[in-house]
Amino acid sequence: MSWFSSTLRGVPLARLRGGNNEGVLVLSIAILSVAIGLATPSFWSLGTLLNVSTNSLTNLVFAMGVLIVIISGGINVSFAAIGIFAGYSVIVLANSTGFGASAAWVGFAIAAGIGLGLGMLNAAAIAGLRLPTLIVTLGTQGIIRGALLSVIGSKVIPNYPPGLDNLSTNYLITAQGAASQGAGATRLSVLIIPAILICVLVSLLLRYTMVGRGIYAIGGDAESARRTGFPVVSIQVFIYALAGILAGIAGMMHVTQVRLANPYELVGGELDVIAAVVLGGASIFGGKGSVAGTVLGVVLIALIKSSLILLGVPGSWQRAAVGLLLLIGVTAQALSAGVQRRRIDLLAESAP
Amino acid sequence: MNDMPARVLRRMLAERSLVRLAVLTLAVLIVFSLVSSTYFTVINFQSMGFQVAEVGLLSLAVMLAMLTGGIDLSIISVANIAGIVTAQLFKSTGAATAEPGQAFAMTVGFILIGLFAGTVCGVLNGLLITRLRITPILATLGTLQLLNGIAIIWTGGQAVYGTPNVFLNIGIASIGLVPVPVLVLLTAAVGTAVFVNRTGMGLRLRLIGANPTAARYSGLNNDRVLMVTYVASAFLSSLAGIIIAARSASANADYGVSYLLLAIVIVVLGGVNPMGGYGTVTGVVLSAFVLQMVSSGFNMVGYSSFAYQIAQGAILIGVMSLSALARRYHVEGRSTLLNRWRRTEPSTAQPPEGKRDEEAHQPS
Repeated sequence: MSWFSSTLRGVPLARLRGGNNEGVLVLSIAILSVAIGLATPSFWSLGTLLNVSTNSLTNLVFAMGVLIVIISGGINVSFAAIGIFAGYSVIVLANSTGFGASAAWVGFAIAAGIGLGLGMLNAAAIAGLRLPTLIVTLGTQGIIRGALLSVIGSKVIPNYPPGLDNLSTNYLITAQGAASQGAGATRLSVLIIPAILICVLVSLLLRYTMVGRGIYAIGGDAESARRTGFPVVSIQVFIYALAGILAGIAGMMHVTQVRLANPYELVGGELDVIAAVVLGGASIFGGKGSVAGTVLGVVLIALIKSSLILLGVPGSWQRAAVGLLLLIGVTAQALSAGVQRRRIDLLAESAP
Repeated sequence: MNDMPARVLRRMLAERSLVRLAVLTLAVLIVFSLVSSTYFTVINFQSMGFQVAEVGLLSLAVMLAMLTGGIDLSIISVANIAGIVTAQLFKSTGAATAEPGQAFAMTVGFILIGLFAGTVCGVLNGLLITRLRITPILATLGTLQLLNGIAIIWTGGQAVYGTPNVFLNIGIASIGLVPVPVLVLLTAAVGTAVFVNRTGMGLRLRLIGANPTAARYSGLNNDRVLMVTYVASAFLSSLAGIIIAARSASANADYGVSYLLLAIVIVVLGGVNPMGGYGTVTGVVLSAFVLQMVSSGFNMVGYSSFAYQIAQGAILIGVMSLSALARRYHVEGRSTLLNRWRRTEPSTAQPPEGKRDEEAHQPS
């Protein structure tokens, strides 16, 4: 990995770096692709592209929710619990009452609604009582997961209602697997369309709406935002509500994709998403981050994971690899922030 | 005159964690003793003692980091690294079949090596936080993943067996009626209390938590203090890891994953301020015991571990909400725009307050 860290640090093209290190990410992805392609030629196939896209689809939507929270200066560790709660509940509901069984969009709407409700839990504690975000979302994570497993159900459900079952086998593109991989056809789920749509919408929201600018303003400095006239509390409620909705949709996508509703899944995998957002240039202190960077971060992590498999590295290495990647990413960020801070310090000291 | 209710409230707030915990302990005892006849028995308390130690130690570890205003999310991974190092050494030397005397020497040596390995992980956290200036949340989130990953790679995701009986005794033996793990926990708690309250380093640690900028301008070397904090935190976690390994007669990369939330719940319930600067070891240890009592009671009543998870989350948010409401009432009197949004603790605003009180008293 050493070549990778030097890539991250040693890029001289400051202008191509982009506001949130997007350029560095593009370069990392490109170099990684070339390197893996040289090692295993089968990497350069439509199958890999579809594979990476399909694998990053759910995380992409989760990451959008995490992104807006991180831009606002908070952190969210309850999204995975919200996601699996929503996804699993929809399957249970549709199987037991038949409600929303025929049309998949009803299931997604219910999941989004459940996500909204659970997101409001976070909103009440964070915006209403101004509690620290990490502690609140850790608490709601416990409550939501506990409620899912003790109230809703703890069994793995293999049979799906017809609407969602159809959706789960609805593929946009199918690529016949390369014989060398010994795998069957690689497919791209049609769910990639709503995932991309959500990214575009979040991007537009952050860039062109008053609420979006408010999210950045709160992350920069809540008090300044308040004095500028942003309704800080309302915006915070909006942030955690939207994060809940996105988590609900993402959870539904995951449950649809895997075609096996397992209530033990997702929770524990939060770090992959947070790592992707932080790698994508979002600052944990708030006020900084972009949709483009986050998408690249998600893709980079999915790429690393699937390339580890391609290179024949055991699956047990994935966890360590993502951890290392996160540390490298935040180190690069912290170092560049340190350089900036030193400049400001010098200016302050040279002043009379 | 108007100041009276605020002053009374402030007194109560100063002792709030301990008062609250004492009331809670009593309530839990009474409720579960009424519900289950086997609850208030020596055997049940002993079995709680065996379980409380590991999470109590992890809570102390989180507390140290929280006192500085940071957090240590890597506690579980560090604990498992310590446990796995020790267990692997036992396994590779065939200690389980060694002669008693030899096994004892091995046990002492390997535990020390395990503790050392875990503590080195704390140095890693410290370096990331002080040298590279990564926020504690992210640094320890990264090491949580990295160390856990390393543990999985090393063990192949399997549990490591082959520990000698001498080692297992740490997890299952009692001295008199008191389980050995409880003795370890209490010793560590006294050590932590002395460190935090009676040493210069402990004072600096709390100062940094109360106000890092002020601490730096008072000439404190924040980096050294933070390094010591995260190393000490990792040492306590490693101790927990050794006890986990001794109690389960094996070590695994995935043991105790649910302890992270629990440890943070315990620390916050114990009255430690998550923004740093304030907290007592007594509160944390007491709250570890209370939560263990709740867990054991839940078990007896027949609730699932998931119900306990709900309770943990609810307690965490409930306690935080209550103190936030109390604080809001407390600051509302002299509410400024800044107070509303800076999320400052009353403690940072108290010193001038206290001074004024003293001055007011002097003339009379």
